[in-house]
Amino acid sequence: MTLARESTTRSVGRGSTSFFRQRERPDSSKHAKPILVMEEVYKYFRRDVPTLKNVNLKINRGEFVFVTGPSGAGKSTLLQLIYRKHTVDSGRILFSGRDVARLTKSSIPFLRRNLGVIFQDFKIISHWSTFENVAVALEILSIPKRLIRSRVAEALDRVGLAGRGNEHAGDLSGGEQQRVAIARAIVTEPALLLADEPTGNLDPGLSIDILTLFEEIHEAGTTVIFATHDHSLLQAAPHRLVMIDDGHVIEASQGLRAWAARTQSMVAS
Amino acid sequence: MDLSTALSRARRNFLDDWTLHAVAIASLVVAFLCLGATLFAVANLNRIAEKWGNTQQLSLYLKDGTEKADVSQLQFVLESLPEVAAVEYLTPAAAQKKFLEQTDAESDLASLPTEVFPASLEIKLTQGVPEGRLQKIIDRLQQLAPVQEVESYRGWFEHLASLLQASRWSASVLAALVAICVIAVIENTVRMAIAHRSDEIEVLKLCGATDGFVRMPFVIEGAIQGSVAALFSILLLLVAYAIVSGQVGYTFATLTGVSLTFFSPQIGLAVVIGGGAAGALGSLLSLRRYLSV
Ligand SMILES: Nc1ncnc2c1ncn2[C@@H]1O[C@H](COP(=O)(O)OP(=O)(O)OP(=O)(O)O)[C@@H](O)[C@H]1O
Ligand SMILES: [Mg+2]
Repeated sequence: MTLARESTTRSVGRGSTSFFRQRERPDSSKHAKPILVMEEVYKYFRRDVPTLKNVNLKINRGEFVFVTGPSGAGKSTLLQLIYRKHTVDSGRILFSGRDVARLTKSSIPFLRRNLGVIFQDFKIISHWSTFENVAVALEILSIPKRLIRSRVAEALDRVGLAGRGNEHAGDLSGGEQQRVAIARAIVTEPALLLADEPTGNLDPGLSIDILTLFEEIHEAGTTVIFATHDHSLLQAAPHRLVMIDDGHVIEASQGLRAWAARTQSMVAS
Repeated sequence: MDLSTALSRARRNFLDDWTLHAVAIASLVVAFLCLGATLFAVANLNRIAEKWGNTQQLSLYLKDGTEKADVSQLQFVLESLPEVAAVEYLTPAAAQKKFLEQTDAESDLASLPTEVFPASLEIKLTQGVPEGRLQKIIDRLQQLAPVQEVESYRGWFEHLASLLQASRWSASVLAALVAICVIAVIENTVRMAIAHRSDEIEVLKLCGATDGFVRMPFVIEGAIQGSVAALFSILLLLVAYAIVSGQVGYTFATLTGVSLTFFSPQIGLAVVIGGGAAGALGSLLSLRRYLSV
């Protein structure tokens, strides 16, 4: 419940001019505040084979983290545990200090208001307009219509779709549809953005554009967790990288990153 | 969440999925028409019963050619009975006039010759004459020489009362059936609407919509479908009534002594509100069953 209150006051209270305000820059010192902490997390979909085992992960406010791993490794599962599509079987997931796993069903919506989630398949409503697709996130927060209009316009501007609110979302290109989804995720100014293969359905040039957009959003102060198995993206951006391998989450060294890049280019050639 | 958002979402859903809603409303209109027609019958039977039910009176039809003196004597005897409040002598001419007055509408019967109306003594009884005593008086009067027939109106009134009772019963049963019908139809409509809008519901939940926010538009839609169907069928009935009452209204008035009327606005309002409530209930049941939140 407290999560909700924070979110609403922040969203309503903040005027439109502060939309682009830089949050505190990420601080690499020991005193940096973690926004997300996973402690000994286990998740089983089958009785004896855990999809995730003993996951320990700490992500600080303002970080940009890639999550990678082969198909079926559990990247989506990891993100789904954070936004409570699934619940951990053991362990804790602390988001802003609160244990997500122990939220009651009725407080899950208030957790999600503090998160922005973006998917490979966009999940936008094709028979709605671009504006409506973004505005829905604010309508849920009971924000006045006038404020919704200005904030949606700014969000669309931020993702490069300024002035295209009246277009039918179904008529947009794939890249544009994903930009609408990103606008919907950021329009509420969540502290944490979860992106699950956001470039999975886009061709390579567009993928880099979308990654750049996420980096801009990150620059403005939002923490980003970006799940992908596209090594060209991992190579293109020097961010923290964690790998999921056999259910374990491993912090990837620069060497590993280089190895990943090599295998990628080998596969490509 | 605020109602205006829910209303505008419901409106948008109506427009997006209007065929589904139109089909549901059309089928509910049929159900409401049956209920409305029965309520119409009840309302008119009720009026007839009210008109005739509290006439505590007897008519003593006299044989043709009864002497004036015999009539006066009979009148005197009757007036001395404690159960009798007043006695009025009706000549055939007066009887015709009164008959025409009692029927609200102008009547073809006005052209009937005066002779077909028998002379009578109209007896007003005091309130609350016991059943047995009344029967005894009737039996005794029947035996008097100038008396052709004693009309107590009771047989007729009992018929009317049982008819009224039966139609009230059928109206209640029909109301229950219509409510079940509305609930079932709307439950099914909402089930389909949930399926059509599953992607939308998913997005809402991902953005942090509460169960109430997701459900409210469906409940509003159910309520609107129920009440719109009720309102529409009442309007249809009113049109039918306007047409029919012009044609048979006055025959009806001649036969029953009351003019044909539509049921009261209060009953109409109750039907509309009941329709809305049943619709909302159907929607809630459907959401409970088919929307896993
Ligand atoms: N709801 C579920 N029920 C049962 N098993 C599931 C469920 N969700 C995921 N799994 C299993 O968990 C494992 C991890 O799935 P997940 O979708 O997290 O992988 P991923 O890393 O996102 O893969 P991809 O790169 O293909 O998207 C898979 O073996 C999958 O079959
Ligand atoms: Mg996945």
